[in-house]
Amino acid sequence: MKAAPFVLACAAAVGLVAAYVAFGGTSYEPTPVANPCLPRPARQATSTDERLEHVVLAAADAAACKLGVSREELVLALRSVDDLDRLAEKEGRSRDELEQTLRDGLVRAVGEAEGQNLIGDNTASTLRFAAEHLPLGLLLEVLRRASSILG
Amino acid sequence: MTAARRRALVGLGIGLALADSSVVTLALPDILRRYEVEIPQVAWVLTSYNLGLALAAVPAAYLGRRRPRAAFAVGTLVFAAASLVCALAPSFGVLVGARCVQAVGGALLVCAALDLLTAIDGSDARSVRTWAAAGVVGAALGPAAGGVLTQTLGWESIFLVQAPLALVTMAALVGLRARPVHGPAGRPNVPANAALLLISGALTAALFLLVLLLVDGWRIDPAVAGVIVTVLPAAAILTGRVAHRFGGSLTRAASGAVLIAGGLGALGVLPGSSWLWTIAPQALVGAGLGLSLSALTERALHGRSPQAVHGGWTIAARHAGVVVGLLLLTPVFTTALDRNEDRALRAGAAAVLDSSIPPLEKLGLAQDVLAVVHASNREVPDVREAFANRPDDPAYRTLEATLVSELDRAVTAAFARPFLLAALLALAALIPIVLSRGKVSV
Repeated sequence: MKAAPFVLACAAAVGLVAAYVAFGGTSYEPTPVANPCLPRPARQATSTDERLEHVVLAAADAAACKLGVSREELVLALRSVDDLDRLAEKEGRSRDELEQTLRDGLVRAVGEAEGQNLIGDNTASTLRFAAEHLPLGLLLEVLRRASSILG
Repeated sequence: MTAARRRALVGLGIGLALADSSVVTLALPDILRRYEVEIPQVAWVLTSYNLGLALAAVPAAYLGRRRPRAAFAVGTLVFAAASLVCALAPSFGVLVGARCVQAVGGALLVCAALDLLTAIDGSDARSVRTWAAAGVVGAALGPAAGGVLTQTLGWESIFLVQAPLALVTMAALVGLRARPVHGPAGRPNVPANAALLLISGALTAALFLLVLLLVDGWRIDPAVAGVIVTVLPAAAILTGRVAHRFGGSLTRAASGAVLIAGGLGALGVLPGSSWLWTIAPQALVGAGLGLSLSALTERALHGRSPQAVHGGWTIAARHAGVVVGLLLLTPVFTTALDRNEDRALRAGAAAVLDSSIPPLEKLGLAQDVLAVVHASNREVPDVREAFANRPDDPAYRTLEATLVSELDRAVTAAFARPFLLAALLALAALIPIVLSRGKVSV
């Protein structure tokens, strides 16, 4: 067997793969989502909509952190009670546990937003009441439509 | 009729039959929609043909060596008739069944063609070179030709065009005398055929998955994708013309396997979702194909008699390799696609949540994006549809570009693992190639 053509083929093959790796070939993947347990960059919240969005996302972060999932995975599961059940099953938790974590996250986020004067007393009381007393399906509806109901 | 014309007609028949193993690749999305089946099912349009060819090749070769002219004629007629049934198939089951029959006809045609070429050229060595080259060109040109036909005339036209073309090749039989070959057939060259199997399995990724990545993954028009993937056959044909300068068949086979592995490895680490990134890997895979397939076919046939039977073994090995490639790579690909679509969905949700569009609009947009994802029915969704009626505002355009980019990243990354697995198959072919050292000197 002639060595030169074989060595040339090896060089071409290794060279191309190395070049593609150098151009970022191994990291061309979906952007990893942020850790919900770490603080996020502060965003300006001026309108009522934006302030309520801040509360809902902070609640999602708190609950996601405690559950060990991403905020986005939790938000996607908030589409319906069925989606939430699927997430609970996937994470090996009971529905009650997931539900309580969500309620705790919302109460905590409402308290923080109230402390930062992002929301007023009445809004905070309404959201806290919803978090503690509404049935889960209705609570999800409130979370999805919080700004339109309270804004 | 001149020998050159006869050779061209027989070569056309071989090319048609072997192109069929990959010709419908670009038509798969249309076939999937036409018969409302999913990706694992639609892959059977390819698998059934290759499996049929792999199983029928050796028996067809044994039949063909006794009456090569009759075998070529019957094979061509069966192939042409089955092609028409494929074009007019009322159900997916009929299409897959007709593909199996097509494969049996193709096997008869291709194996008998080797003895016909020997009768035309009067030389075993030359007939093997022509036979191998016609097979390489057919297999490599298949996806591009199928893509252009699908886009211009519809996927059914692939089969409608084949039928008359196949019948034309029968003109080569007029006045041609091919002697029947008697006597026992020796044992096949196992290392050379094993290497052919592995190389063909690896090439499955380049011929099928690359096309799926371009058309379904990156949403490139099938006709344009057909043009893009011509780099591979062009490189194969060009390399095939100068292959003899690379040395003996062992050197060519080993160098070709390494080039195919390198090209597939590069496709497994694509740094972006532009078709331009596929050009260099395609050139490498094409060059490897041009070097290795013909070299291994020559090694498998060298000094063995009858040629048609050993040719049958090489066809069986090649198409068994395609089947192994399809069965091995399809589940790896679909699993990775599902997993990466989940990751893309999370990355997309993060992009929507963090975007600067009004909060209430986010809700509506998120619902529309999810509706597009759910309506895609296991195909890669086109999230741009969700932005069709949104304001022409920079915030929306930025978010749209981010979502498209996340999806592109997810899809491209999903193809990485099967491409890398295919690269390993090509490298594994070096083992039988090295084992065959010293057994053949061509």
